[in-house]
Amino acid sequence: MEKIESNISKVGGYTGQRMAKDKLFKHVMTFGGLSVIIAISLIFFYLASVVVPIFTPAHMDELQQISLPKNGGGATVHLTSEEQAEIGVRMTDHGSVSFFDLRDGRLMAEENVALPEGSEIRSFAAGDPSQQAVAYGLSDGRMLILEQEFKVTFQQDPDDSEKDIRTITPSIAYPAGSEPLVVDESGKGLALLAVQHNQENTTAVALTEDNRLVLAAFESTSNMITGEVSTERFGIDLPMIEGEISQVLLEVKQRDLYVVHGGRYVTHYDVMDKQSPRLVQTVAVVPEGERVTAATILSGGFSLIIGTDKGNVAQWFQVRDDDNNNHLTHIRSFKPMAGQVTTIAPEHFRKGFLAGDDKGNVSIYYATSQRLVLKRSTGSEPVRVVGFSPRANAILVESTGDAIQTARVDNDYPEISFSALWQKVWYESYQEPEYNWQSSAATSDFEPKFSVAPLTFGTLKAAFYAMLVAIPLAVLGAIFAAYFMSPRMRTVVKPSIEIMEALPTVILGFLAGLWLAPYVDNNLAGILVAIFLLPFSFVITSYLWSLLPHHLKSRVGTGWEAALLLPVIVVVIGLAIQIGHPIEAALFGGNMPHWLSNELGWTYEQRNSLVVGIAMGFAVIPTIFSIAEDAVFSVPKHLTSGSLALGATPWQTLFNVVLLTASPGIFSAIMVGMGRAVGETMIVLMATGNTAVMDLSIFTGFRTLSANIGVEMPEAAVGTTHYRLLFFSALVLFLFTFLVNTLAELVRQRLREKYSSL
Amino acid sequence: MNDNTQKTHAMNIGDLGRVQMDDTSDVAIRVEDLDLYYGDARALKNVSMSIPRNRVTAFIGPSGCGKSTLLRCFNRMNDLVDICRVDGKILLDEKNIYDKDVNVALLRRRVGMVFQKPNPFPKSIYENVAYGLRIMGVNNRSTLDEAVEKSLRGAALWNEVKDRLQESGMSLSGGQQQRLVIARAIALEPEVLLLDEPASALDPISTAKIEELVSEMKDKYTIIIVTHNMQQAARVSDYTAFMYLGELIEFGRTNDLFLKPTVKQTEDYITGRFG
Repeated sequence: MEKIESNISKVGGYTGQRMAKDKLFKHVMTFGGLSVIIAISLIFFYLASVVVPIFTPAHMDELQQISLPKNGGGATVHLTSEEQAEIGVRMTDHGSVSFFDLRDGRLMAEENVALPEGSEIRSFAAGDPSQQAVAYGLSDGRMLILEQEFKVTFQQDPDDSEKDIRTITPSIAYPAGSEPLVVDESGKGLALLAVQHNQENTTAVALTEDNRLVLAAFESTSNMITGEVSTERFGIDLPMIEGEISQVLLEVKQRDLYVVHGGRYVTHYDVMDKQSPRLVQTVAVVPEGERVTAATILSGGFSLIIGTDKGNVAQWFQVRDDDNNNHLTHIRSFKPMAGQVTTIAPEHFRKGFLAGDDKGNVSIYYATSQRLVLKRSTGSEPVRVVGFSPRANAILVESTGDAIQTARVDNDYPEISFSALWQKVWYESYQEPEYNWQSSAATSDFEPKFSVAPLTFGTLKAAFYAMLVAIPLAVLGAIFAAYFMSPRMRTVVKPSIEIMEALPTVILGFLAGLWLAPYVDNNLAGILVAIFLLPFSFVITSYLWSLLPHHLKSRVGTGWEAALLLPVIVVVIGLAIQIGHPIEAALFGGNMPHWLSNELGWTYEQRNSLVVGIAMGFAVIPTIFSIAEDAVFSVPKHLTSGSLALGATPWQTLFNVVLLTASPGIFSAIMVGMGRAVGETMIVLMATGNTAVMDLSIFTGFRTLSANIGVEMPEAAVGTTHYRLLFFSALVLFLFTFLVNTLAELVRQRLREKYSSL
Repeated sequence: MNDNTQKTHAMNIGDLGRVQMDDTSDVAIRVEDLDLYYGDARALKNVSMSIPRNRVTAFIGPSGCGKSTLLRCFNRMNDLVDICRVDGKILLDEKNIYDKDVNVALLRRRVGMVFQKPNPFPKSIYENVAYGLRIMGVNNRSTLDEAVEKSLRGAALWNEVKDRLQESGMSLSGGQQQRLVIARAIALEPEVLLLDEPASALDPISTAKIEELVSEMKDKYTIIIVTHNMQQAARVSDYTAFMYLGELIEFGRTNDLFLKPTVKQTEDYITGRFG
């Protein structure tokens, strides 16, 4: 009894140790597996967390009331703020400029414009918001240009010597001198005014009270030696047009003038040459029965935004036709407002604008993305004046006459909408809607073009051409290696192809871009002939082989016949390259790329899809080959024997049994290869030219999502739309490869289940 | 074949194992001085025998004695082994199947084979049975329907699967799969059916069904069955060949061979003294 017990305890101890080991390894494995899943999820969530803000709607705080003093120096004509959106600026038709703290509504300063004796204010004009200059038109035909100025001073904090107190002192300044500039030489009052002012040039266009349209241009030149600034004035009357003129708009470059008249017409004047301004065309911008009630020019000076009495809002700009003539063209309409559009103000630096209607609503729109970003009601009174802070992070609205309403706006990503990302967009100064990716430019009035469509297209195009090369070679090669090849040859061939996978793609990309691309360029006809001839030469060689007498054939072992094709490949390619040049000389005028572009009108780029297809095909072949070969090879031998025993030939067995059984595996091989081709970066980065164009031609390049990330990520400012869009493309890539690989794996799992009984 | 040649063969067989052939039966396959080499190893040594037509012939013997190898010679499945070489003759209808002008695919249609492990294709039951006809180029629906039904009935499977012909052949049980494979083989109406341990992977009930089927089929086909199971050989076969180390030791009527073996080795084997 005792003996048995001791034995049991001994066995028990041994079992305990074994179980402990089992458990330990189980936990280690579980931990490893979970870590991988967690790591993948973290990548996903990190990418998603960077991307999410661009798809979250813009946000606006509650509107704050800032009450105005009774009869606060006249009616408001202009609202804006200082850079930090801390100090609001209000200008009135009486020439009163007041500055108030936007946070608590405290009036900080109030100044009156220094008007010359005997003159009155008749009109007001704001220059481009990025320039800050505004002007009052006077009753004596002159105008006074002014701008707000903010002096920032720092004083030591009396309580804490480490800190400084920042004080902003607002004031008004007269950049063109405190003496008004003469617009109308005959001295009639200026009923309507448009002005643009910068250091060298000032242009003003005014409708005088006796109904003339006059233009005055001032050119300032500073004397190189004395530093003295002298100003030259030039004035001219513009050709008059029919109908009551309601608004005059001059764009920031002082080249184009738009006059709104007759309720529904806009006339475009070319005033680039101030000596001879030209009336270009008159366009009806709204249908009969509708009236233009507000208009403005967007930042950058290209686009005209038109608001009507029916609440419609539309964007117009000049489009150049094939004969080089510009036509003011309707580009897009926005979601209409509830009431008559009363006022529109552009954002200072982006393509957004703020509109108000007579039912008290204000809406923030964005032009490029055709979006109504935000909508808010300010009460029931008609909105009279609206304005943006320079960074578009606050709006100012005046409707009642005794108060200004202001609110902080969080609207960092208005450029993004489904149509802006995936559809054709009519960008400013483009002839027609296009897919375009152009994230940055040297000029500040640039409209970013964030169409992901050409990048996605490029990615798929790269994958398509790579698969076109890889699938036939890899799959047919895999079938041959697994089904026909002699075992000894297979032990050499399979590992060598698999080792190709270890080749860094940067080397393939480097070879493709710097060696293959110029080589293909120089031998295009030869390469095409080679691609065409190779399959035929294989068939001819096989036919000749079958004619050989048996004793010669038997010298080459079964399954080694393929080795005979190696010299054939070398000879055919060599021959094709040799005859390539004579062919080009005879048929294509000596240079096939030139001939393609001149005779057929096909664009030929040196770094093109053909080169990428070959290079990336080589990168993808090992992946596909390896998995497909395994799939074919693991078709049970008793299935093939069963088929052969029924009198099927080896080829019939291959098609009816082997490929059928291996097809899920071959499919999964192709999917994994596709996932690889889609995510591949270095080869496409180095061998495609990276132009984001959308066409299927094999002779043009493209830009892929992955290469785009590689090129632009270093220069994208953190947190901008551009930066987040790059993360968005990374997320798209991640999801795509994840889906493709998951699909491949699921198919493979199902296959394993299905054939586990074989 | 005239009566004379038939007699001669009977005499030859008689010399080997005192076989008296029935008057009604004649010879389906005649093996003459067959040697088979795997590389340098001689797997079959000078085998000669006559397989009677429309009878069940069993090959027994210990593992590695060459009985399966010999079976695979009858439809040249050994050709698939690279290093395999065959000397001698196997005559089917007086035509040596190892002649150079023999079409192996056609030969295999005349000599069907069923393997040890059920190997239905990953296709429907219908397509499994129709496979052999389809690769011959038969695509006429009604011809195929008829052949499938006839073959499945012939393999005693029709009643079990007639309502689910479009289901995968792999959804059947092991015994049903084996009968499906037999149906697939007889769909081509072969003259000879080779069964390579057809029941060794099956449970006793399925085995009994297969054995029953073999007995039923011998009216139509010449059946050669390789088995490890001597009881099975005794139950189903009319003639039995005992092989040992690549040689045909004794061949004769099953009853005779089991009850009155003439060679010591045969007796030792069937009484269980080795093997």
